[in-house]
Amino acid sequence: MKFRYSAWAKLLWLTITLYTAACTSQQESLVRRQFFAFGTLVEISLYEVQQPLADQAFAAAEADFQRMHQQWHAWHPSKVTDVNRRIAEGELAMVPPELLSLITEAKHLSLLSNGLFNPAIGRLVRLWGFQQDNFSATQPPDPKIVYGLLRKRPSMEDLTIDDGTISSRNPAVQFDLGAVAKGFGIDRVIEHLRSLGVHNAIVNCGGDLRAIGRHGTRPWRIGIRSPRGAGVLASLELSEDESVFTSGDYERFFESGGKRYHHILDPRTGYPAQHVTSVTVAHHDATTADAAATALFVAGPDDWQSIARRMGVRYVMLVDRHGTVHMNPAMAARVQFEVDPLPQQEISKSL
Amino acid sequence: MTRADWTVVLLAIALLPVLYIKLWFSQGHGQQASIWVDGQVMEVLSLDDPRKLSVTGPLGVSVLEIRDHKIRFLDSPCRGKVCVHGGWLTEVGELLACLPNKVMVRILGSDPRFDAMNY
Repeated sequence: MKFRYSAWAKLLWLTITLYTAACTSQQESLVRRQFFAFGTLVEISLYEVQQPLADQAFAAAEADFQRMHQQWHAWHPSKVTDVNRRIAEGELAMVPPELLSLITEAKHLSLLSNGLFNPAIGRLVRLWGFQQDNFSATQPPDPKIVYGLLRKRPSMEDLTIDDGTISSRNPAVQFDLGAVAKGFGIDRVIEHLRSLGVHNAIVNCGGDLRAIGRHGTRPWRIGIRSPRGAGVLASLELSEDESVFTSGDYERFFESGGKRYHHILDPRTGYPAQHVTSVTVAHHDATTADAAATALFVAGPDDWQSIARRMGVRYVMLVDRHGTVHMNPAMAARVQFEVDPLPQQEISKSL
Repeated sequence: MTRADWTVVLLAIALLPVLYIKLWFSQGHGQQASIWVDGQVMEVLSLDDPRKLSVTGPLGVSVLEIRDHKIRFLDSPCRGKVCVHGGWLTEVGELLACLPNKVMVRILGSDPRFDAMNY
């Protein structure tokens, strides 16, 4: 009896140990917080950050995003709409330092992208109806008006940025920083978190993210959602400081006459860029990743490589409208597909 | 070793595949989803039972659909339908929201396959 008792005790102990070991995840070291900011859902994940600091980090990130969103809003009264008004009047605009550095970076990236990323086409974006909180466009705009706006050729090259001021030789320039502000904002928040002593974090702003450090003993691992249908197309393990941005035609769009009109406008035609479903860019800083995802989407399946090279981007995955996945070899080596059967793939030359 | 000791060892070995299978299959599916309205958890639901449910937010009724351990926005009173375009949520930890109607869905579960989702 004595032996049997101890045997059952052992068995019980073993069972409990096994279950505990199997069910205790590493999640306790991971804390997350979600909030609405920047017109989207933001999620901050912190690894091995103790509670008082974690709360401080969450609060700092939320306050930063709210502030930047307010100041850079393209259609609600903001610092950006102030600057736009001055430019339209042909005047010099005084610009606060943070916005000045955002516009300066945006100009640099726009020139690198050969103007395919062009945040000066705010009027066109508004004409299409994408500058609305709860956008409700149902019809493409009158082609004559689109052409009229294109003819004025608003470009970041028109800007003179100088000592806290911006002027434009072209009054048709109107900023819509939607394709770069999120990246720039994430970079600022990451800097802020680091200054607080946070070393392992992901800042995910509506599906675009930058990750620093690691998840304990392993790298951060992200899933890239399939641009059509459900589930995860691919996964990626991130280096210790890397951003991943995807531009797609599937979130903000409307349909008219059986045709999809999405929000990524080709500045050369004034119409939504054709041929591409999504572009994913992995890059060190979020600002470049953000602008590059848009520029490469506009560049399309034939020209993305030359633009990626110009912008210094090393990891690109482009899904064209037929579902073929285009990648450069370095990206192909990192991406792990999560779909069965595997998609059609086309590997480009090295970037 | 007594007979009891052997029994313990055998039972422990027999238990391993059971645990393995249980944990393996529980990993990919988030068994539950939480539904939030305006920052408050309204409901936690199992994703094992296919169903449609209506959630009332400030703008009106958002309709959610659960099928094959997945959940999506079937309809929402917003105009842009970004939430509906978001498609199915499949992964533990995945989030989707109808911002205008302040309705948010999140798949619950331990050990997510991914630390974050990019889209």
